Amino acid sequence: MSGSDARAAVPRASPVWRIVFWRELRDLWIGGKALNMILLYTILLGIYAYLFASNSELNLLPQNEVVLEIVKASIAVGGFICLTIGADSFSGERERSTLESLLLTPISRREIVVGKFLAAVSPWAVAALVAVPYWITLAKGDAILGPTAVEGIVLGTLLAIAFAGVGMLVSVWCNSNKTSMLISLGLFVLLIFLSEFGPTDRGAQLEVASDYLQWVNPLAAVSRVLSATAMNHAPLHSLWIWIATPVLFPLVTLTLLFALAGPGLRLNAGSDRIWTPT
Amino acid sequence: MSDHEKAVLVAEGLQKAYGPRSALRGLTFTLRAGRLLGFLGPNGAGKTTSIRILTTIMEPDSGHFTVDGISHKHPDQIRRRIGVLPESFGLPKQMTGIEYLTYFGQLYGRSKSDAKSVGMELLEEVGLHKRARSLVSTYSHGMRQRIGIARALVNDPVVVFLDEPTIGLDPRGQQELLGLVQQVAEERAAGVILCSHLLSEVESVCDDVVILSSGEIVASGTVSDVIGKTEQNVMRIRVPAESLEEAQRELEAIPAVRKVAAASGMPGWIRVELDDAASEDHQINNRVLETLLRAEIPILSFEPEGGRLQDVFLQLTSGGIR
Repeated sequence: MSGSDARAAVPRASPVWRIVFWRELRDLWIGGKALNMILLYTILLGIYAYLFASNSELNLLPQNEVVLEIVKASIAVGGFICLTIGADSFSGERERSTLESLLLTPISRREIVVGKFLAAVSPWAVAALVAVPYWITLAKGDAILGPTAVEGIVLGTLLAIAFAGVGMLVSVWCNSNKTSMLISLGLFVLLIFLSEFGPTDRGAQLEVASDYLQWVNPLAAVSRVLSATAMNHAPLHSLWIWIATPVLFPLVTLTLLFALAGPGLRLNAGSDRIWTPT
Repeated sequence: MSDHEKAVLVAEGLQKAYGPRSALRGLTFTLRAGRLLGFLGPNGAGKTTSIRILTTIMEPDSGHFTVDGISHKHPDQIRRRIGVLPESFGLPKQMTGIEYLTYFGQLYGRSKSDAKSVGMELLEEVGLHKRARSLVSTYSHGMRQRIGIARALVNDPVVVFLDEPTIGLDPRGQQELLGLVQQVAEERAAGVILCSHLLSEVESVCDDVVILSSGEIVASGTVSDVIGKTEQNVMRIRVPAESLEEAQRELEAIPAVRKVAAASGMPGWIRVELDDAASEDHQINNRVLETLLRAEIPILSFEPEGGRLQDVFLQLTSGGIR
């Protein structure tokens, strides 16, 4: 067999996405980026828990509401970590001039995206593990902990997947990491801001509009589901319309990421019309 | 046909435009196995666009190319057969030299153990085996270039693209790296494309050369052929400053001399342009020098203009000879 024949027929040792995934995972955790964020997250959760446990006003809250608030905070911050890591995935590589070497290998763009995506979601798994002891401590044996924790982990996972996907989508289309981070952060702040527009009693029309805003906002929809089950013991099947949002959000994001943005991944964001003379 | 005569890269009529601006206009050339081809051109001539097209990072608007007989319509297969050292490439902070090469070896389909053993061989080849277990972030600039070359060889490529590999290196580092590049072409029988602004290094190590200007090839062929294509009827002579005027007068009196003037940017040098007919006269240079010697004007230096790649490059890329 000639050299070039051998080159063409080299059997793959393991799926490429897995190789990219392990490398990214290593970069994130040994490199310290994810670890630092999780440390900050742990401190933030500790402060939150301390306030709930020691503040006399917050202490008056019923136990199920305390659990609800800490679960919601864990989900939001965990999702944010995945978003920022996703937002660094390609624009960061462009800035560090490491993307070209990766694109020059014979692996498919989609496999690169899959490997990076799985690594970007990994902080959520750690964030959830870190959060559970806090939830248990603050629940003080309240029976609401079990169902709220399960719902929180499931819905949080869906949101983490979606946020990592959104961050990566932005990153695919940005040449600068700063732009990618700013857009992602802006989107997240907007969702947080809109989720504060809760149910209103200022007329039927405003209530419909508010409900719609809450429904399209995955953070608000998750909050609505968790609140309804933790506070009102509403059965999940009665909340299907609100559950649809956190289910559809990652589906749409991943479809865009893997079907559209991933295969079109380029050295320069968007298109190769950008001309950089040397 | 021996391995060394085999065309490993054939480009025909490659064109690329960025909006209304044409960056590449009909790039056509052939690279043979074991040959080192210097890819030259001033800034904005289309070198990087050419390299990005030939390395499948960009698609051409028209034209086609093959690598090892594989059409550019199969970029993944071409990527298996090429190795690239981009002009600016980053290295991951948390990897050692051997981990870096093992990772890329795996991306090219090798098993981890195979990739690692190939990586060690390559580190040995580029002289980095003693630093195999050091983090690449601790490597000097020269070492980074070396590991970049090692990475470009990890898939045993048939064509290697090296974009400004010696940039930022000290003279010794440049010399050593060029030696390594020559070794790659000779021992691996790979075709090597060397993009560089250092014309003396291209002249000293390359077999062939392609000169681009404004997206077009203005000269291509072996280095000696390309040098031979330029004007040969101009010479430069260096005389002592106090003899400049006298030397000019003596030279102007020679019938075959068209024009005598001080060489721009070269104090003490006289630029002598000869008639077109003088290019047929093989003794003309001797007669010009004889004239100065008879007038007892010391000749400090003499060189035919166009006798170096740098002269060719300057002439061709300033819209001179095509």
